[in-house]
Amino acid sequence: MKRNFYKLTSLFVLSLLIMTSCTSDDRDDPTTELPLTGDYTDGIFILNEGGFGYSNASVSFLDQTGEVYNSIYTNVNAMGLGDTAQSMGFNGENAYVVVNNSATVEVVNRYTFEYIATVSDLLINPRYIEFSGNKGYITDWGDPNDVNDDYVAVLNLDTNLVETKIPVAEGPEKILLNNGKLYVTHKGGYGYGNTISVIDIASQSVQSSIPVADVPDDMVIYNGSLYVICSGKASWTGEETLAKLFKINLSNTNEITTLDFSSGQHPRFLDLANENLYYTLDNDVYTISIADFQLPQDSTFSPSADGVAILYAFEIYENTIYIADAKDYVSNGDALLYSLNGDLQNQFSVQIIPNAFYFNNL
Amino acid sequence: MKYVLCTILFCIGFCSMLHSQTDSITALREVYLVAYQLKDSTYTRNVTVVKDSVLKQNQASLTNFLNFNSTVYFKENGLGMVSSPSFRGTTASQTAVLWNGININSQTTGQTDFNTINTRGYNKIEIKPGGSSVADGSGAIGGAINLVNELGFNKGFHNELFANYGEFNTYGIDYQTNYSSKKFSMLLGMARNASDNDYSYPETDRININGQYHNTNISFAAASKLNTNNTLKLFANVYDGRRNFSVPTPNALKTKYTDFNTRSLIEWQSDFRRFKSNLKVATTTEEYRYFANVNNDYYTYGKVTSFIAKYGLDFALSNKMLLTTGVNYTHNDGRGSDIAAETRNLSAALVSFKHVLSERFLYELGLRQETNEEYGNPLLYSAGFSTKLNDFYQLKVNTSKNFRIPTYNDLYWQGVGNEDLRPEESYQGEVSNNFNFKNLNIAVTGYYNYVENLLRWVPDSAGIFRPENTNKVEIYGLESVVTFQKSFGNHQFTGSGTFAYTVSQNKETGKQLIYVPYYKFTFSVGYNYKRLSAYYQYLNNDEVFTTTDHATEHILDSYMVANLGAEYTLGKNRNYKIGAQALNFWNESYESVLKRPMPGRNFNLYLHLKF
Repeated sequence: MKRNFYKLTSLFVLSLLIMTSCTSDDRDDPTTELPLTGDYTDGIFILNEGGFGYSNASVSFLDQTGEVYNSIYTNVNAMGLGDTAQSMGFNGENAYVVVNNSATVEVVNRYTFEYIATVSDLLINPRYIEFSGNKGYITDWGDPNDVNDDYVAVLNLDTNLVETKIPVAEGPEKILLNNGKLYVTHKGGYGYGNTISVIDIASQSVQSSIPVADVPDDMVIYNGSLYVICSGKASWTGEETLAKLFKINLSNTNEITTLDFSSGQHPRFLDLANENLYYTLDNDVYTISIADFQLPQDSTFSPSADGVAILYAFEIYENTIYIADAKDYVSNGDALLYSLNGDLQNQFSVQIIPNAFYFNNL
Repeated sequence: MKYVLCTILFCIGFCSMLHSQTDSITALREVYLVAYQLKDSTYTRNVTVVKDSVLKQNQASLTNFLNFNSTVYFKENGLGMVSSPSFRGTTASQTAVLWNGININSQTTGQTDFNTINTRGYNKIEIKPGGSSVADGSGAIGGAINLVNELGFNKGFHNELFANYGEFNTYGIDYQTNYSSKKFSMLLGMARNASDNDYSYPETDRININGQYHNTNISFAAASKLNTNNTLKLFANVYDGRRNFSVPTPNALKTKYTDFNTRSLIEWQSDFRRFKSNLKVATTTEEYRYFANVNNDYYTYGKVTSFIAKYGLDFALSNKMLLTTGVNYTHNDGRGSDIAAETRNLSAALVSFKHVLSERFLYELGLRQETNEEYGNPLLYSAGFSTKLNDFYQLKVNTSKNFRIPTYNDLYWQGVGNEDLRPEESYQGEVSNNFNFKNLNIAVTGYYNYVENLLRWVPDSAGIFRPENTNKVEIYGLESVVTFQKSFGNHQFTGSGTFAYTVSQNKETGKQLIYVPYYKFTFSVGYNYKRLSAYYQYLNNDEVFTTTDHATEHILDSYMVANLGAEYTLGKNRNYKIGAQALNFWNESYESVLKRPMPGRNFNLYLHLKF
């Protein structure tokens, strides 16, 4: 009896020891080495926002040889970038990554991607960043429950501290500097906006508000005019409105030309190349000649034909169109490079929900 | 005659009940004829029944209890946060949670957050793997969990107090009082659990910020034998919980969530010579509130009130044949910040037949006709047999068709809800092999499950998530439950283990669903010597994919967690127990959801008084 007991006990102890060591986390994850140049100069950053709430935002880098390096922030700094990377901006030697659901801006060296600082105070729901002098201007939706607390945070780039807030209308999104003024589209945050704020940098206050159509988002400036694409309210909002493209004369903002989209159409992105505007609608790309300023009948090309499921980023740089596909939001996305007339030139896999391209000293 | 039938069903049912872990040996041999014979497939499928004494050795959340004691896999957003199950490789809303036989899955989300169920409110929990829609209705595809308040008679007046306190200011108090005479029985329980939940993330310098929670559960049950033929029962439950959701990153906006659920049920049972009649009338309310900013009173909410009536009539055709018929009716009335106010009515009729062909062979058939045109009037079925081939081996075979109707969110979410959705349908079959030896019971079940019209929210081309009937999913796997007990003089050993191998594939892509591990393995062992007991629980979850493309860099690692506990019984009548536990004994650093670390080793003490 006693012997049996000891046998059983030792068996028990032995099995416990075995059980403690049978999990494995030594899988070979793909590793990223540095590009040949030794840093991240001369290449393109692709921001992968990651799943909302999943803290898996990351940055990919495409170097000149066409090699792709994923998760460079984590590889350089041995920590995660955070939750939902919304956008990025360059100023001087630094890159500023706006991490929306982390409520931070991560400051890194734009060439080495080494961590410099985290801006966290006075940020709640940061979206986009623009620079002027030694100040950064960060659009912020504030408390999601409060339609009256939205602002543009003014970041002192020397101290990396937010100095002040400029109160603005609900849902400030894209922000663009031109001639001492900041133009902010009020996409609407948790509601739907329909204005553009003009902020005077000298007085750090809202100088005027330009009424546009519902849900203004992307904008570009060309030849003294501001072009703004307003997506309109989608049908699921229950109060669908028309999408519109605005041309606003910056020297007289009352001088506005508008193009109306057909009902049911909700374009998304807008960019500029060679005196043409390019916009996206339902995963297709359309072109408008600035001279004619007429909506085209047909699309220029169709990334959906190349399998793009959710066109989630759109930029034009040096006659190349950069498109990102977010797929189903729960797998690694793709980046696709097209010529201006729509020839697919390159396609590669990046990380989760790629949302923008940033061009570093090309 | 009825008694003869019952006896035979008892005997066959005997082997179907496998007890989980360290209960005392006598309890391991205890037999239950599950609440009511109307229940489907009780005899041709395995059910695990866990009693109070085992429940007390586990943490109070249903997540924790099932995680360590069943094959159900859990995805927990950090300790105490939102927790969703995957039972036999199915999705979170394909596990039905029943309260005394009434389905309490949320009508808005279709699922139960297993961290909003406090196990201290119940004295018995049944774990039923496999589809049981014929008996349990919508949602019982992967399996069902039944939370039971069991009432005894003629046991006098008893009180129990259970209190535990541990790290992170975690405490639980549970008081239960019972009174029963020959004809009357009642039970009242009050339980409160709370924690600051500010544990540090192992191997980092971060702590869990904004993870505090508290919840209170009050349960009441009473039964009165009106006369020799009639019994009236009354059940009520109130759950009031508040959780702050821990922040994914330190500077993120803090949020909180509250749940308030009430359930009440009147049951009238009549027993005659050949007839047995059972009427259940229940009302439930569920309400959640989500505060997107802890410091702001503004919230979004969803609220559903339900009325449920079930009637069942058993008729013994002979002493070996039982015919059961029943009708069910459910009325839901829901509204919320993002869903339109809608009501819906569901009704169903069911019939089942059980036949004991010989002492060694039983078969059963069940049919359920749903009468809801919007959902295509599905006809559900189940069929199975059980045969005892020799002294120690029993074979059970069962097949069934099951379903799950779209939820309020799926149908009525503002702007994107889709009223044309069809119910999910599941066709499944399983074979159980049960081996029963003197000190050892082994059950090995192989199953196959084909799910059509899987309801998912998928992004459209504009990136907007919309509910759709999407994929077909093929699931197959193997699960095993083993229990063991042995005594050497005063030394008593008990053990139980579960093992699951699960393949759950999206038929279109051929890929395993995300957050479904191929393997899950649990065991617990208990040792008792006179007044001293010790127990050890172990859990091992295989790695899971977190992205649909199975990208290796996003795989969530496998992990193991173990708890070690000991208790000592005091008092002349062995009425008092004190115990201590080391949770996550090996200080494993692990996540059950990506980037949501769970606590490292932590300790707690408990006291259990009976008076």
